[in-house]
Amino acid sequence: MTQLTAVSGANRPIVSLTDVIKTYTLGKVEVPALRGLSLDVYPGEFISIAGPSGSGKTTALNLIGCVDTASSGVVSVDGQDTKTLSERQLTDLRLHTIGFIFQSFNLVSVLSVYQNVEFPLLLQRKLNPKEREQRVMTLLEQVGLDKHVKHRPNELSGGQRQRVAVARALVTRPKLVLADEPTANLDSVTGQNIIDLMKELNRKEGTTFIFSTHDAKVMNHANAVVRLADGKILDRITPAEAQKAMAAGAEGH
Amino acid sequence: MGQLKLLVQVAFRNLFASWVNVIIGGIILFGTVLVVVGGAVVDSLDESMSRSIIGSVAGHLQVYSEKSKDSLALYGNMGGEADLRVIERFSDIKKVLEQHPNVKTVVPMGTNSTMLMSGNTVDLTLARLRDLYKQAAAGETPELRAQIDSLKTHVRQMIALLEKDLERRNALAAENAMDPADLRALERARSQEFWDGFEKDPLASLELLENRIAPLVTDGDMVPLRYLGTDLVNYQKTFDRMRIVDGTAVPEGQRGLLLPKFSYEEFFKLKTARRLDIIKEARDVNHRKIAEDPELQRRLKENQTQTRELLFQLDPLKTQQAIARLQKVLGSTDTELEKLLVAFFTMDDANFDARYQQFYAELVPLLDLYRLRLGDELTITAFTRTGYARSANVKVYGTFEFTGMEKSQLAGSLSLMDIITFRELYGYMTADQKDELAKLQEASGVTDVAREDAEAALFGEDSSLVAETSSGSIDEDAQLAGSSQARRQQELALSKYTQQDIDDGVVLHAAIMLKDPDTLEQTMVELQEASKKAGLPLKVVSWHQASDLVGQIILVAKLVLYAAVFIIFVVAVVIINNSVMMATLQRVREIGTMRAIGAHRGFVLGMVLLETTVLGLVFGAAGALLGSLAVKGLGMAGIPAFHESLYFFFSGPRLFPTLQASNIITALVIVLGVSAFSTFYPAYLATRVSPLQAMQTDE
Ligand SMILES: Nc1ncnc2c1ncn2[C@@H]1O[C@H](COP(=O)(O)OP(=O)(O)O)[C@@H](O)[C@H]1O
Ligand SMILES: [Mg+2]
Repeated sequence: MTQLTAVSGANRPIVSLTDVIKTYTLGKVEVPALRGLSLDVYPGEFISIAGPSGSGKTTALNLIGCVDTASSGVVSVDGQDTKTLSERQLTDLRLHTIGFIFQSFNLVSVLSVYQNVEFPLLLQRKLNPKEREQRVMTLLEQVGLDKHVKHRPNELSGGQRQRVAVARALVTRPKLVLADEPTANLDSVTGQNIIDLMKELNRKEGTTFIFSTHDAKVMNHANAVVRLADGKILDRITPAEAQKAMAAGAEGH
Repeated sequence: MGQLKLLVQVAFRNLFASWVNVIIGGIILFGTVLVVVGGAVVDSLDESMSRSIIGSVAGHLQVYSEKSKDSLALYGNMGGEADLRVIERFSDIKKVLEQHPNVKTVVPMGTNSTMLMSGNTVDLTLARLRDLYKQAAAGETPELRAQIDSLKTHVRQMIALLEKDLERRNALAAENAMDPADLRALERARSQEFWDGFEKDPLASLELLENRIAPLVTDGDMVPLRYLGTDLVNYQKTFDRMRIVDGTAVPEGQRGLLLPKFSYEEFFKLKTARRLDIIKEARDVNHRKIAEDPELQRRLKENQTQTRELLFQLDPLKTQQAIARLQKVLGSTDTELEKLLVAFFTMDDANFDARYQQFYAELVPLLDLYRLRLGDELTITAFTRTGYARSANVKVYGTFEFTGMEKSQLAGSLSLMDIITFRELYGYMTADQKDELAKLQEASGVTDVAREDAEAALFGEDSSLVAETSSGSIDEDAQLAGSSQARRQQELALSKYTQQDIDDGVVLHAAIMLKDPDTLEQTMVELQEASKKAGLPLKVVSWHQASDLVGQIILVAKLVLYAAVFIIFVVAVVIINNSVMMATLQRVREIGTMRAIGAHRGFVLGMVLLETTVLGLVFGAAGALLGSLAVKGLGMAGIPAFHESLYFFFSGPRLFPTLQASNIITALVIVLGVSAFSTFYPAYLATRVSPLQAMQTDE
């Protein structure tokens, strides 16, 4: 609790959702995915979004990640209202401010580990080759894959692949990293390792993390758990509370 | 920079990632090979043809009167000679044309064609006999007498052979196959009485044999003769492809004819020898085997069945010599020449080379190898445009060929003639010449021979000339003899000519050699203008156009190639388009991920385009390499002309294509163009892939 207030009081939120509604249209049927979601995330937070399947976790992350647009309400990222941005500006925002970790890793299969991590830097065109190499190698060391630079993704285990993805997401030093169920495709031990790794980077670099999960153990490191249900925020609680709630919920069934 | 490097790396790694790419690559490879090889072959064809055509007859440009009905066709066209309007004075157009700075030489020309009788063996022997009698008239020597008697025996032997032949033929055909008049003439020529009375009036007796007996022998040929009348000296200086093979060039200021070596061999050589030559070449050059080749077998068979030409040529003495030689060669005791010849001409792959050599060593010295000997005079009869026949005697000085087209029938059927004789045969006269001729004719009493008569004279079918006489004292006959005498005098009067004569006379067309052939098109236009200004409107055509059908063939070949290339690449565009589309769909997730991570649409567009470009370059380069090797191989081995009519286009029996940088560049440009073109739409679609695609989970 103390930690939560300490961080949240620091400055402006990096992500701010206000009364966000997202409705999908499937043919003639309107599927409400988010029904008035409001959420502020502050720099340096390590937030877990929890909730049952279909509660709107992925939809919320897509809106924050600027890969989709809200039906109504305001989504602002790094102080910018995403509705006012062009396609190009949104892409730039993703490139420079946000890092993505995907559930299915999404590495480029024909590129080596090193090249996959270097990829966003090449898109940014900010660093010279030497700086790039340094940056990539530092991150690969941090995720423990500095011995595997030349490997192709299909030569790695799932956990190793997700580490590469983590390195790729962080290599541009983004202010915000989004991860939609990053551990869903991993066994629990490996999943735990990935979350540990993320937490470590959050602590060291101060990067803001928002990740979704429905695994209670994974939420441990979070400094807040935002619980979603039917496209709305149920509450914002600590991991301990969340675990208790989930245990109770499980008993209830 | 780093981005591009990455894109190239992605492109290269994707190259073999999908079987789709391998198919696209295969198409590109095949297309490139086709463009390189096809391009090189067509270019070489064009090059060798242009060298041949320009350097033999056409020059860079040809000019002829704009008022002509037809367009010029140097190698003839189907319906006979093109109808060209006469240009009255060559010097007029020469002056205008030579003023152009790019014109190097102007050569006057005219082409026409007619038929010649190559003369049959009986005719030739009789002609020789007639010569001997003429010599004897001036003073008989015992030596001459012996020669006359020998030839007379030879003729009687021929008539005996002829009769046997005819009997055989008659037995096969329906009764009355022979004209009774012919039979009577033959009977008379066989009779002892005829020969006893021969010496009383030898010329009249010869007349009978020439008019009635010789036509019964069927070994004479109608030889097509196309001739180009030109300023021979200037021609030879200008056209470097022309080369004298046997004999000599026509001396400056002399009338004369040069026969193409090909025609000379084809039409005037002893048929038996010609057939052996053809078989030898087929065996030596084309590695054909008699045992496997029905065509060669047929030719050998003909040599066995058509020994008549040889039998006729041999007088009794030579017949004995031939028998002796053949007996020795064959180890035979047979005494009948015909049987020996049949045995000798029974050849196969094993004995051919030896027999061929024996034929030339043993038999040929006893024979006339050619029916027309160099140095002989040839009477050429041609029809003027108004339908009158005109004859001229020209000495055959030699044979020639065009380098690189030695085997081409098309190039080898055009004889070269001095332009003075050509004009005479063409029959067009300017006002001045008409006056001059009128005076000459008045002096000698010559009139033009009407077409029918001339045809008759040419083909020997006029009944008035072969009336049933033994004396030959018919009026018209005398008149004909008289007229040819007069013509001879007239010819003699004109037999020497000067450059002035050449320049001041009629031409039908003229060849122009340029100093700089690269500006051919422009020069054409300028010459046309200049001629119009000078009041002598000319049509100026390039060598391509002037050679008409022949020139179009290269165009057709190019069109066919381009059409094939076009079709292949249309197919390629469709397939590549579909494949890239498929490949893009397979990669939606990857592309979506890139977009999510921050790749702009331009990056995705560049990536897909670059991938196809790399694909095009890699397989295109491989295709170009393969194609180059193929051309190199073909250049070494040569593409065989599977038919002799191709010799002309190939400049010989084989085409040796060479590779030019332009062939490869063209191929690569086309390939890259095609692959880029066919990728635009799929690439555009790829840019529309949403980053949301990256978020989808696997299940
Ligand atoms: N592309 C889509 N089209 C239509 N309905 C969708 C789409 N994506 C999600 N939904 C619906 O929106 C709701 C929220 O889904 P989602 O955000 O994926 O939830 P979660 O990630 O928590 O499982 C669900 O009812 C889901 O069926
Ligand atoms: Mg989800």
